[in-house]
Amino acid sequence: MKHKIIIAGLIISSLFNSCQQFEDDYLDTSAPSTLEPSLIFSAAELAKGAVDGIKVPFAETNSYRGRFLPYYGLNTDAEWYNASQTAGDKADLCVYDAKPGNTEMNTTTNAYAMMYAGIERANVCIKGIRQYGNPLPGTEMGQLLGEALTLRAIYYADLIKAWGDVPARFEPITTATLYLPKSSRDVIYKQLIADLGEASTLVAWPNETTFTSTVEHINKAFVKGFRARLALAASGYQQYPDGVRRSNDPELSVPAMYALALKESREVIQSGSAHLESTFEGLWRKYNQEITTAGGESLWELPFADGRGRMLFTFAVKHTSISDQFQANGANRGGVAGPLPFVFYDYDQTDLRRDVTCVPYKWGTAVAASPYPIAKQELGTIDTWYFGKYRYEWMTRRVTSDNDDGVNKMYMRYAEVLLIAAETANELEGAGAAMPYLKEIRRRSFSAADQTEKVENYVNALSSKEAMFNAIVEENKFEFTGEMERKQALIRWNLLKTKLDEAKQKMADLAARAGAYTDVPTTLYYKYKADNVSLDIYGLNRGETTNPGLAYSSVTWTWTGTAADAKIASLYKPGVNPDNRQFWPIWQVFIDGSNGQLKNDYGY
Amino acid sequence: MNFKDLFNKKTKCCLALVFLLGLFMSNQISAQNVTLEGTVKDASGLGLPGVNILEKGTKNAASSDFDGRYKIKLSNPKAVLSFSFIGFKTKEVSVDGKTKLDVSMSEDANSLNEVVVIGYGTSKKSDLTGAVSTISGNDLKKVPVANVAEALTGRIAGVQVTSSEGSPDADIRIRVRGGGSLTQDSSPLIIVDGFPINSMNDISSSDIDSMTVLKDAASTAIYGSRGANGVILITTKRGKDGKVAVNFNMFYGMKTMANQIDVLSPEDYTKWQYEYALLSQTGTKVASDPTSYTKYFGNWQDQDMYKGLKGDDWQKQIFGRRGEVQSRDLGIRGGSDKINYNFNYAHYDEKAIMIGSNYKRNNLSLALNSKISDKIDVGFTVRYSDTEIDGGGVNEQNEKSSSDSRMRTIVGYAPIPVSGLTSGDVSGDGTDVLINPFTSISDNNRQQFRKNFNMLGSFGWEIVDNLKLKVDLGLDNFSTLDYRFYGRSTYYVANAPIGTLQGKPAMIMSDGKDKRFRNANTLNYDFKKIMGENHHLTALLGQESITYTSNTLTNTIHGYPNFFGFDQAKTLTTQGTPASVDNNYSPDDKLLSFFGRANYDYKNRYILSATFRADGSSKFSEDNRWGYFPAFAAGWKISEESFLKGTSWIDLLKVRASYGEAGNNNIPVGQQIQIFQSTPTTWINGVTSVWAPSKTMPNPDLKWETTVTQNFGLDFGFFKNRLSGNFDVYKNITSDLLINFPVPGSGYDYQYRNMGETQNTGFEATINVVAIEKAKYGLNFSFNMGVNKNRINSLGVMNNFGAATGWASSQIGDDYLIEVGSSLGTMYGYKNDGRYEVADFDYVGGKYVLKTGVTPTATTLVGDGSSLKPGDMKLKDVNGDGVVDLKDKTIIGNVNPKSSGGFVINGNAYGFDLMAAFNWSIGNDVYNADKIEFSTATASGEYKNLNSTMADGKRWTNLDPASGQLVTEPTALAALNANTTMWSPYMRTAIFTDWAVEDASFLRLNTLTLGYTAPEMFTSKLGVSKLRFYLTASNVFVWTNYTGSDPEVSTRRKNPLTPGVDSSPYPRSRQMVFGMNLNF
Repeated sequence: MKHKIIIAGLIISSLFNSCQQFEDDYLDTSAPSTLEPSLIFSAAELAKGAVDGIKVPFAETNSYRGRFLPYYGLNTDAEWYNASQTAGDKADLCVYDAKPGNTEMNTTTNAYAMMYAGIERANVCIKGIRQYGNPLPGTEMGQLLGEALTLRAIYYADLIKAWGDVPARFEPITTATLYLPKSSRDVIYKQLIADLGEASTLVAWPNETTFTSTVEHINKAFVKGFRARLALAASGYQQYPDGVRRSNDPELSVPAMYALALKESREVIQSGSAHLESTFEGLWRKYNQEITTAGGESLWELPFADGRGRMLFTFAVKHTSISDQFQANGANRGGVAGPLPFVFYDYDQTDLRRDVTCVPYKWGTAVAASPYPIAKQELGTIDTWYFGKYRYEWMTRRVTSDNDDGVNKMYMRYAEVLLIAAETANELEGAGAAMPYLKEIRRRSFSAADQTEKVENYVNALSSKEAMFNAIVEENKFEFTGEMERKQALIRWNLLKTKLDEAKQKMADLAARAGAYTDVPTTLYYKYKADNVSLDIYGLNRGETTNPGLAYSSVTWTWTGTAADAKIASLYKPGVNPDNRQFWPIWQVFIDGSNGQLKNDYGY
Repeated sequence: MNFKDLFNKKTKCCLALVFLLGLFMSNQISAQNVTLEGTVKDASGLGLPGVNILEKGTKNAASSDFDGRYKIKLSNPKAVLSFSFIGFKTKEVSVDGKTKLDVSMSEDANSLNEVVVIGYGTSKKSDLTGAVSTISGNDLKKVPVANVAEALTGRIAGVQVTSSEGSPDADIRIRVRGGGSLTQDSSPLIIVDGFPINSMNDISSSDIDSMTVLKDAASTAIYGSRGANGVILITTKRGKDGKVAVNFNMFYGMKTMANQIDVLSPEDYTKWQYEYALLSQTGTKVASDPTSYTKYFGNWQDQDMYKGLKGDDWQKQIFGRRGEVQSRDLGIRGGSDKINYNFNYAHYDEKAIMIGSNYKRNNLSLALNSKISDKIDVGFTVRYSDTEIDGGGVNEQNEKSSSDSRMRTIVGYAPIPVSGLTSGDVSGDGTDVLINPFTSISDNNRQQFRKNFNMLGSFGWEIVDNLKLKVDLGLDNFSTLDYRFYGRSTYYVANAPIGTLQGKPAMIMSDGKDKRFRNANTLNYDFKKIMGENHHLTALLGQESITYTSNTLTNTIHGYPNFFGFDQAKTLTTQGTPASVDNNYSPDDKLLSFFGRANYDYKNRYILSATFRADGSSKFSEDNRWGYFPAFAAGWKISEESFLKGTSWIDLLKVRASYGEAGNNNIPVGQQIQIFQSTPTTWINGVTSVWAPSKTMPNPDLKWETTVTQNFGLDFGFFKNRLSGNFDVYKNITSDLLINFPVPGSGYDYQYRNMGETQNTGFEATINVVAIEKAKYGLNFSFNMGVNKNRINSLGVMNNFGAATGWASSQIGDDYLIEVGSSLGTMYGYKNDGRYEVADFDYVGGKYVLKTGVTPTATTLVGDGSSLKPGDMKLKDVNGDGVVDLKDKTIIGNVNPKSSGGFVINGNAYGFDLMAAFNWSIGNDVYNADKIEFSTATASGEYKNLNSTMADGKRWTNLDPASGQLVTEPTALAALNANTTMWSPYMRTAIFTDWAVEDASFLRLNTLTLGYTAPEMFTSKLGVSKLRFYLTASNVFVWTNYTGSDPEVSTRRKNPLTPGVDSSPYPRSRQMVFGMNLNF
């Protein structure tokens, strides 16, 4: 009997022992379908996948794709949300009346969160590549680190642009840093400017490497141009919790930052690695055709794949039918925002940018045909215009997704570098130094016949610094309307409310055919061209008042009554001062989820 | 060599060694010369097979054969024999020198001496100190259903079983005492023959001997982790000594749709379409005959052609087929005193009421047990199940878009065929506005195959007297093959693939392989020899390890040729373009545990038990890996006290109290460290996959969630147990809740954390009454109810957070609120206040201006988005600030019932038996999302049909039918709507108000069975021991005020925070089954 107990005891104890012996190893399990950072960031092939991962948050449903790009940048003195008068959460975002509980935005998946997701991914990449990757300039790892630094700067720049002060996270998050209060945007700007300085030493010029042969990757021209843009934003006027002012930080002073911006923009110009497209229309055709070859005007594009992104979906010339000869993107696509009604009339009649930028028609109900139903252009009303820079009809690819169009966001183009150079040179070196840059912009905007007067004589007359500055402010509008660049520019010039009020007055004048708009015709005459699809319109130009004949039908081109007054007034919400509403509030879900660390300033 | 191999090897060595030992041990049986024989019969005189007969004080034992005959050799002619058999009272008879002894055994009416399976052992029911309920296989057999879990509905106090919808593979939600976890699944642990399983579906009900539900921590703590939400123990049938017993059961039945949603008639449909078309005009408006109406329906003057027209009943077309169920099972059991076996085969085949929806299952099992010697027994069980589920149902939890919920297209589809509007094909030319229900069903087709192969080996050795070693080894293999087809009308193919492949059919195939290995070693010692007559102590010591590995291969194929359907896409995969191949290995989930238990009783009156378990889980990092779960329980059998012993009508009176802790680690693996995963993406140009950290932030500080249970219970049996039952009160507090916590704005979406505390308090009662018990007839009732109150005591750093069901995409926002002080399943929305009437407005210059004093409602919430008008829905100004806006959202419903339970009536007379099983629930609300959906015509809702709450005469109308124009003038508009009660369905967006929160209290006659057992004199001639025919009706009636199709529903279950939503459910059916039980 005894021996049995002993044997059993031995067996059992050995079983138990074996468990204890292996307990530590036993309960440590590995995750086979994952990789350690040390591996990922020591091989460029893998690290590239991690850097690509930083871009995915751009395309998340409620991120840049569906919320940030469609709403940020409206309303200005050139662009507005076409339904600004329809009270509601969408309009509130544009008419300077957004509340923290805005139902369009107040979700945990909002752009605000996705930007931080991108930042976190960038932080992890930057730390990993520095630690394991040996990122020397000229190497693929160097390019990747530069790209990660720049992508992080893009996310931060847009966070600050939309929300002002936000938490600063430049290291991967840990439990200890999960909840942070806002930091001063000055701190973030300085870090971004330093990061972009580093990145510019790491990434290649456009077309210098195969990597930079497409504008969907970060190149040196973009990094420098973007750094110049941030330098101006950092030193510009903006709303701080204590009011609208420039930064008090000496490092972000106008002399320091303008000098930096001028230096960077000049280096881009001198590099010759980017240039203006030969025609303005050609630029936008190329954009809609999704040609992303580097070395042209586009410096970097947010690289939406063809099934993701909503640029045309939101901003294109409106298409009524689910499907027509140009698109199958769904019903009523495009046309969410458009130029203000007077912008068309503010352009010089010979300015080649006018008809590219401002479109008065939409594409009507399509009629069944093979292979696709056919829609015709249809004139709308004078209060609703569309951005002609975004056109399905210029695309080479037929959009079939019913929620996305897949066209990139052109994040920065060479024209902006020229205008930055003009603005900073004017500030630091006087109007004469700015002239060549402004001339280059305008030369592309007018036909050869008009250039003597509209370019040479016009620019040469801008002899004072002030005149040059005012001309640049105007040029910015004519060049960038529809690109949502204007709002931040107005803010940094401290002209937001001034220009919005001016725009309201201009709209009232247009409605009344008063002021600068007395000679705007009140009747449009139209007929269809030989293709029976496109409109031949008479009456859009000032003074075109003679009835062109029976071949033409006519529509009235007036804008009066209480509805018109209400719409004009809705450019910004009556009773609100846009200068006190330069930023959106941080949405309530993020305030609630911040463990008491976040609050909204600016009177929200 | 990894641990498992080594471990296996060790186990094998040890097994071999033990076998050898067993061989050496010879049974010393002394020579016998007295032989006794006889027959054991039950009260009705039938022979009882398998009765254990033991000569007291010796090891001499025998068992009766198939006819109840036995033969035993005795050491002493004056010996006392003990006859015992499960379900019968043990009988002791002295031989008194007889050579033939016939014994009649009586049934144990409420089976107090029944042996109940508890964790790692068994207990006599009367000795239980914890809250434990059982249900026998015989009871289950009377409920012919596909899923065993369903058969538990309404049977056990405190166990709420709800099926989420009517599909044959519907999720069955089981909650023991409400469930403690918040964002994690609160399902109980399910153990079959000691082995944890994933789904009860893999077990055939014919194979089940008994089911035990452990409800309090005193009972579950032996399972340590995973025991916090209750444990369901299933014991499968074993072979019995004696002649071969063969059972054959079969049934065949039919099913029909129980309820459907009423929709508008063609006449009313076209009338509404006309009004919609007028209201929705943009641009240049016309006063009558807008083109969006006329292009499909003709001019308004001709609308009378739709008068009296009978529309297509799409619900009937999709769900109207007559379902069929067939089931056959065969069980063969038998054995000798050395070896016994149980073979079981079951086949279940269901053609469900929905087109293309089928369910098939085969179960095969074989259990062998062998007594190698007196001291050693070995057992081996193999179990195989094979399930095929055809059809995609009408909703899914992993949906690509809520717009793919099929009920939408079925209910909302035009009741009349209209060319261009309702074509059967999505040809991509943009002319089809509505998706044909048949297209929608076939475009969302799905086929799933689940296979489960389970092997269990056990080895028991009585090392010395009363010391038993048991070694269990088990291997469980699951394979899940899922083909999900996305046809051309789905959101997925329109948006997910790369541009060139959009609009073409796609398929996602996933092939999951999971494996679980378990080893448990226990030592049991009974101190009965040491401690004397009055003291009884048993102790258990054990160790267990479980390893779970999981691997899923997901193949995504886009861009099939346009005409491909499900079958082609499944078999001709090279015709598509592979979008991604993801062979994902999850981190192993390992658990290592040590546990012990001691049970003590004094004079069978005072019972004490103590349990302790330590669990180590690989889901937590090293410092937090181990959880320790103690439990204590005490019982006092008052009826055994001398002062009550003489009271003849009291059979049992016992009070018991318990305290215990149990844990929960029910979170995904790999949360404690940051991992980089490669995921495919179609969002970024030139990038097909990216490396990124998980969107869930790692948390190295994760630890066990712990539930502390206090339970107080009373068991009673009176009047020879004709009246018996028990009462329990309990309080469960779950702390360190494992919450999938939102961390918005941090860069991650969620982080698993331990935070907060929930509490469940409740009361349970079970009462069984044997009203009549005669040889030829009988009647008994059993009744159970549970009252549970769930409360969130704390949520850590915050006070509340919202959760969105998302059934209407992003239109509604958060519609559930998780808040300290309230309970899980609290609905959050607006209070409905009817509608705005004409009298609420001044009519100024052709416009309606709200009168001062009438509360305005934000136009972002109600109406068509322009301005408030008569006929718009009106909401209550809850916070009294004079306007109704987002701030007026409030708590408007709660899914938790005040009480739930069931009662069962069993009767038998002269061969007939009747069973009626009811279940009920009181005070629970259901969020009737379908009612909102089909009464709201949003901007994208043109041409969609409405439900009959918005029928002509009920809905607000602006249309003057005579002129075919909209009425704006106040007097005429008021007159037009003098008799209507509802608001206008023409709304900008769906809104969740308390109008859609309905009391879903119900009483259901779940099962009604009438059976007839053929008389023995007849069956014996056929060589059959029992032959029974029966007729069962399921879901016979539901008595409820709920207006949806069924009050038991929950279709947005992916997130446990949003239970009880009725959105696009698979309709329930009524079933009538005819069956037969045959025993040889």
